[in-house]
Amino acid sequence: MRKEKIRNPLIKRIPKELKSELGKYAVIFLFLTITIGFISGFLVADNSMTDAYEKSFEKYNIEDGNFELTGPLSLEMKGKLAEENIMIYRNIYLDKQVLNENTTLRIFENRKEVNLICLMKGRLPETEGKIAVDRLFAEKNKIHIGEEIEIDERKFLVTGLAAFSDYSALFSDNGEMMFDAKCFGVAVVTGKQLERMNQTGLHWNYAWKYESEKQFSLSERYEYSETLMKILAMDVQNPLLKFTPEYSSQAIRFSGNDMGKDKSMIIVLLYMIIVILTFLFAVTISNTIEKEASVIGTLRASGYTRHELAAHYIALPVLVSAAACGIGNILGYSLFKKVVADMYYNSYSLPSYETRWNEEAFLLTTVIPCIILLAVNLIILYNKLSLTPLKLIRNDLSKHKTKKAVRLPEFKFPARFRLRIILQNKSGYLLMLAGIVFANVLLLFGLMLEPLLDHYGRELEEKLIAEYQYILKQPAETDSASAEAFAVTTLQTDFTGKNNEKITVYGIKDDSVYIVKENMPLHHDKSGVYVSEGILEKFGYSAGDTLKLKELYTDKTYEMTIAGSYDYPAGMAVFMGREEFCSLFGKENGYFNGYFSNEELTDLDGQFVLSVITLNDVNKVVRQLNDSMGSLFPLIKWFAFGMAMLLLYLLSKLVLEKNASSISMVKILGYGNREIGKLYIRSTTVAVAFSILVSLPVSYGTLKFLYQWIMGSISGWMPYHIRWTVFAEMVLFGTAAYAIVTWIQFRKIKKIPMERALKNVEL
Amino acid sequence: MFLKIKDLKKSFGTGENRIEVLQGINLEIEKGKICVLLGPSGSGKSTLLNIIGGIDYSDSGMVMIGSEPLKDMNEKTLSLYRRNHLGYVFQSYNLIPNLTVKENIEVGAYLSGHPLDMDELLEVLGLTKHKDKLPAQLSGGQQQRTAIGRAIVKNPDILLCDEPTGALDYKTSKEILSLIESVNQKYGNTVIIVTHNDAIRLMADQVVKLRDGQIRKCYMNEAKVSAKELDW
Repeated sequence: MRKEKIRNPLIKRIPKELKSELGKYAVIFLFLTITIGFISGFLVADNSMTDAYEKSFEKYNIEDGNFELTGPLSLEMKGKLAEENIMIYRNIYLDKQVLNENTTLRIFENRKEVNLICLMKGRLPETEGKIAVDRLFAEKNKIHIGEEIEIDERKFLVTGLAAFSDYSALFSDNGEMMFDAKCFGVAVVTGKQLERMNQTGLHWNYAWKYESEKQFSLSERYEYSETLMKILAMDVQNPLLKFTPEYSSQAIRFSGNDMGKDKSMIIVLLYMIIVILTFLFAVTISNTIEKEASVIGTLRASGYTRHELAAHYIALPVLVSAAACGIGNILGYSLFKKVVADMYYNSYSLPSYETRWNEEAFLLTTVIPCIILLAVNLIILYNKLSLTPLKLIRNDLSKHKTKKAVRLPEFKFPARFRLRIILQNKSGYLLMLAGIVFANVLLLFGLMLEPLLDHYGRELEEKLIAEYQYILKQPAETDSASAEAFAVTTLQTDFTGKNNEKITVYGIKDDSVYIVKENMPLHHDKSGVYVSEGILEKFGYSAGDTLKLKELYTDKTYEMTIAGSYDYPAGMAVFMGREEFCSLFGKENGYFNGYFSNEELTDLDGQFVLSVITLNDVNKVVRQLNDSMGSLFPLIKWFAFGMAMLLLYLLSKLVLEKNASSISMVKILGYGNREIGKLYIRSTTVAVAFSILVSLPVSYGTLKFLYQWIMGSISGWMPYHIRWTVFAEMVLFGTAAYAIVTWIQFRKIKKIPMERALKNVEL
Repeated sequence: MFLKIKDLKKSFGTGENRIEVLQGINLEIEKGKICVLLGPSGSGKSTLLNIIGGIDYSDSGMVMIGSEPLKDMNEKTLSLYRRNHLGYVFQSYNLIPNLTVKENIEVGAYLSGHPLDMDELLEVLGLTKHKDKLPAQLSGGQQQRTAIGRAIVKNPDILLCDEPTGALDYKTSKEILSLIESVNQKYGNTVIIVTHNDAIRLMADQVVKLRDGQIRKCYMNEAKVSAKELDW
């Protein structure tokens, strides 16, 4: 007798199993690797870039704000501000038309103290006639280092491409709703060069920094900036034109606020795919156990424990998942991270970043999915292995008593045969239904996004309050008959532990021609405010509820009763009477700071206008989303299509394998392949058609729920809308996927040998 | 006595469909003997074997191997009991299709701290030449030899054989029965064979005839013949 312990011989089966099911495991591995890789890459890039962005405040010494005067800041004023511990830095610039009449380049002198520049490529200009341009602007306009650009009829050699820390989003004006990096960019030249240039378009801009070791809170910074503004406003000789604290600067804050917005959508996508892959693994394992039941029963009878067998059967899925996780993460930190970072670099002018290890990404893309995969598969394994060895040996895998034959109506024989096949394989077809539902949820997600944005764009256009919305710095008069004054302020939601949402509160005159009752689907003639439907849908409010809001930079809160809703998809807004507005916010009667108008208010003095919102501005949100996410939509669509096909293939293969002996038998009886196909494949076709139909409303409902969750975690609201053509596309995709699978299955039927039915031993 | 069975009862179904498969079986088998359980289909012989093997449960009564009663064993202890004391051979071999002959036998060896010498066993089984073949490359007899090898390699106290020749031809059946006999002689395991082939009783030390869940006859075989001399 030998003494040494033998290595578990079942381990030798694993590479053989892998080889025999290589196609299936390769496809699962591929899906899992791409999913983990892309999502890990997304999260890593997102995190690394957010980190670089956040660090840029200190690294590049970003201003605490900037202001613009009509002329140079006086020494006296500078002294006054220094007394308040506010340091002022000259940051003048020239706005110049370049390339074409729609493109503006904002030219600064080299920065040495604040708002430092991150040089991405080349070098900063050191002599006259040279210029370094914002990288994104250069890319969008195909400007390269070594090329020349013409400014005021003089050629400038581009020496470098850079990211400006105070222009990570290229807003030319803080009042703009959205920026356009092709039409507006920033650049630097030497100080001397700036002085020698044509001074048309000169802006006396200054940056400020608080001279304090202490980190100010938002409300403290707000108070400080209010003090600063009051001091600057005292100089009537040199009036204040623009005043932008850093916390409200779109150019500085927009990219930081926007980064990570897509995170919840990406995580939903990840878990949809993980659920499908878990399902696939579970079906695969379950199928393997069923095929090997008698062997497993014999091993159990020989003394193998359930744990030993569970460990054996889970090994291959674990190995495949572990390999996918490893390679997925490597790809995530290399290839996919670059893809996602490029997406950000395509939208924002961000500084260079260092790749950071991201625990959250590892947890979300690797640890949790692996735990889910492992847990679900172990549950299924243990459930199957809980059958007694005897039942396993006899291939009696049902936990229920013997079933009785269902009586069928006197249909023709083929119809009854098919019905019998469906009834006999109902567990397989139920799995198929579940699989098709999973696949269609993913497919719907891939198909719905583009039309949803389209629909949103049209809604914005149709339900625009007015062609122009002017927001004023202070009340200003106009003679236009189209103008209707309103009061407006911005508050934010006051939910602890949730993302704060900015809410625009409008004070509207009683008989407004712009805010009309026809757009109030939920209307009650009670006192209170009307809120845009986004607020109701996002926060689950209904008429009669109390909406609690707070000021942006202080702790002051306001409570208002919701009387109804207003159909205004462009924003999260509250509408109330102007009198109520004035009384609530302590403004004198008749106060206003905005105009609705269907024509441009040409007589309005530009210096009083804070911003103008037009259809073009509102639509920019859709364009920006299309720009940043648009390339993802077709990827998700084709990924989902591939996934749907894989599911259909595996599940119909499973049904066919279960019926292999019967198919073999009917072949012996003289049935031809075509007749067998009609019996078996048509039954599966009926099941697939039924499953696709059922999956449509189920996937619609599931995505509605997921969509609410996604929108709940980002700011703003887009109504959930799925165009009917999307459902038609889903049916088409499903049919196309099934047609390919049917062709493969028909080939399989042809290959089933007649001896199979004659064998009493299955190997 | 090595194996003791006392008043063992087992039934399937309920109400009108209730079938008493075992109706109070009392049996004792000595260590190292070959016992043949004989009977027609539905006599309860396989059920009795499965209860002895710890893969089926009785409604009442007791099975004792040595001093260990099976009734008190939980799932885990039963697995250990099977692991340490039993070897199983079925009519439908149930080999692992993607493991070679040697590897299939190693599946059994892995369960034992002191398995038999593999090369010697392969020689006894007549499988040395075929040790690297997959089951699909073997004849039925060779597959059953492999299954016996897998059961015997851990040198179990009891070798349970459920219709081991049921799927084999006359010549191969005799070869398999000879193999079981030689294994019993060489390693001294208690062997219980379930069969409906009346001729096999002749090679047994003890014969138990069952019908309708009851032992109709149980006797020690005075004129035991070798498996090679069996004829049917």
